[in-house]
Amino acid sequence: MLKYLFSIFTFLLLSLNIFAQSADELVAKASHASYYNGKDGRAKAMMTVTDAQGRTRERALTIIKLNIADNAEQKYFVYFHKPNDVKGMSYIVWKSTTKDDDRWLYMPALDLVKRIAASDKRSSFAGTTFLYEDISGRAITLDNHELLSSDGDVYLVKNTPKDPKSIEFAYYTVEIDKNNFVPKKAQYYDKASKVYRVIEALEVKDIQGYPTIVKMKATDNNANANTVTEFSDTEYDINVSADIFTERYLRNPPQQWIKEK
Amino acid sequence: MHKSLFSAYPLRKNAVASLRDASLGFCPRSPAAFCACAQKSLDPARSDIKTFCSGIYLTRFIVILFIAFGMPFFAYSFELPDIHGFVETLYAPRISKDSLTKHDDRVALEERVQLKSRYTFSEGFLASLNSVINFKNDFVVDNYFDNTLHYKLRELNYSFSPTGFMDVKIGRQVLTWGVADYLFINDLFPKDYVSFYIGRDDEYLKAPSDAARISLFPSLVNIDFVVFGFEPNVLPKGDRLSMFDSFQGGIAGRNSERYLIEPAQTAENLQYALRLYRNFGNIEGAFYAYRGFDPMPRSYLDEMNRKLFYERLDVHGLSLRSPFLGGIASFEGGYYYSSQDSAGNNRLIENSSYKVLAGYEKDLGNDLKVSGQYMYEEKLNYSDYITALMPWDYFWDARRHVLTQGLTKLYKNQTVRVSVFNFYSPSDKDGYLRASISYDVTDSFKVACGANLPWGEDNKSEFGQMQKNKNVFLRARYSF
Repeated sequence: MLKYLFSIFTFLLLSLNIFAQSADELVAKASHASYYNGKDGRAKAMMTVTDAQGRTRERALTIIKLNIADNAEQKYFVYFHKPNDVKGMSYIVWKSTTKDDDRWLYMPALDLVKRIAASDKRSSFAGTTFLYEDISGRAITLDNHELLSSDGDVYLVKNTPKDPKSIEFAYYTVEIDKNNFVPKKAQYYDKASKVYRVIEALEVKDIQGYPTIVKMKATDNNANANTVTEFSDTEYDINVSADIFTERYLRNPPQQWIKEK
Repeated sequence: MHKSLFSAYPLRKNAVASLRDASLGFCPRSPAAFCACAQKSLDPARSDIKTFCSGIYLTRFIVILFIAFGMPFFAYSFELPDIHGFVETLYAPRISKDSLTKHDDRVALEERVQLKSRYTFSEGFLASLNSVINFKNDFVVDNYFDNTLHYKLRELNYSFSPTGFMDVKIGRQVLTWGVADYLFINDLFPKDYVSFYIGRDDEYLKAPSDAARISLFPSLVNIDFVVFGFEPNVLPKGDRLSMFDSFQGGIAGRNSERYLIEPAQTAENLQYALRLYRNFGNIEGAFYAYRGFDPMPRSYLDEMNRKLFYERLDVHGLSLRSPFLGGIASFEGGYYYSSQDSAGNNRLIENSSYKVLAGYEKDLGNDLKVSGQYMYEEKLNYSDYITALMPWDYFWDARRHVLTQGLTKLYKNQTVRVSVFNFYSPSDKDGYLRASISYDVTDSFKVACGANLPWGEDNKSEFGQMQKNKNVFLRARYSF
């Protein structure tokens, strides 16, 4: 009898372990599908911020990325087209999942290359309701992942930060599309288990064989504000050189990718 | 006391800067070794400068009209590149009256239109060189002085990449390097400290240079080499901002009558600046070299006639910048060699010196950033300098310490920006507090207000001499 019970216990432990592993795998696949398609890529992003009074602000930028290691290091080049007072500013991120990112900002009016202290990845990106971490991806090693359900056509994964003190949310859930592993909806819960932030993929397209989010929305329930981002001119595997992500190109943005009159 | 950042030395009485603006960027220079651009000329023959400049003024006015109204039209007609810019108004009343200056109640009242454009060649040989033309100019109606329209060309340059490892930028451009905030050691490119003190946007702290910049990117180290003509720092001269004038024996305003003698614009007076830089892992390292003139008029050419000049200056320095404990740490140092007084025993010419600086900036989260810097300067051959002084001379301390503290906080989805920056020198017992709040009402419309509060126990220290110029400012800008 005791032996029988022990077998059941072992079986339960094993199955839990399998579940845990598959949640990690799912999150890794979702992270790949969101941020690491292709070896490099370029897209234009039009971000429309709508505040609680219904007023809108627009941010237009070109993003160029280069993957260094899957679900780990990446380099980003961001060029601002709008609003007009920041037009021409460019920005480089050397993203790391093991230490703080390296970031540099170029202000053309002053010809100034400024290195940015980047310890806070949970601050607003360019005044939108997207956070830096939403744009460049949150390191998957920062959270414990748990598969809550696999009903219908999505997996529902709960992500709980390993270091809860470092972060403003208690946990967040992500719905991952079973077909292509694109995260369709992320909901962030505060300490009272209330949803206060939602990020949704509003439109997903196949671009060069990669499932790609072309329209997404970040809603801040507390501020009653949201940002819709529409990506256009998305291209993958365009042979971006690693040189692009250096001071040289901060000062002279790579025209062939920016394509600005 | 020490004279540095901008010197407590007398500043030019005349309006070389505005004469230069008035002449579309070309100050009439004498063919002699030095050009004395003086409003109150010592030499009656110099009055021709004024006449010449006012002649140019009419031409300039026509050019402004043509550009202001013509360019958008041409842009529309011939699919020229987009033109952007802004319209801005600035009003900066004084906190306390200063009867020394032209207006005792304000330091600025002006309207500004900036137009800028960028043309990227899309076809042919020039396109294959990644050719770009940058243009930016300001039209300013300065109600402080004369209510007339001033044309200020900030950028007109052509940049291209003749080979895969080389970039070239030729023409009028703004140049900056170094790692410190608002303190400059290896950046000897021209600054406009008048703009800095009267509440103009930070952009105007940097004055443009007429330069050729060549950048090389071999694998070992990146190289920037700049050749540029002399362009002095824009400093208070008593008409708008009062400052220390040794000839007047204290803080002077319109009573200041000094002549700032610039080096002639000749080939041998060209200035050279070099930067070698590369990353060592996370650490950015740079070496700098400069040969040219001190952009501050720190030396005396002719005491009797109140003439100051910009002595020759060579600077060698280095900087390091790296992430450190979740923030950014920086270090910069430079050795200033005064070749016209290398022994340091000429009381009329600035001695050699060195400056070192350490800084740290950290993002504390929730859009709050704090920073701090410490700078130390020391005049070399100090005993020789002291020995050479005459009994009636003003003299300056051997050492100067400066601390800065900065804080920036953003609110309301980063549309409200609160910024405080403080300079404090325990050795000079002076300081300068800059504070501002700006609000992006919409993407296009922005308002800002703030205060410039220099203070000091002494009339001749760097910030102390500015103590009568305390002001608050209000700016409104519409960008297009």
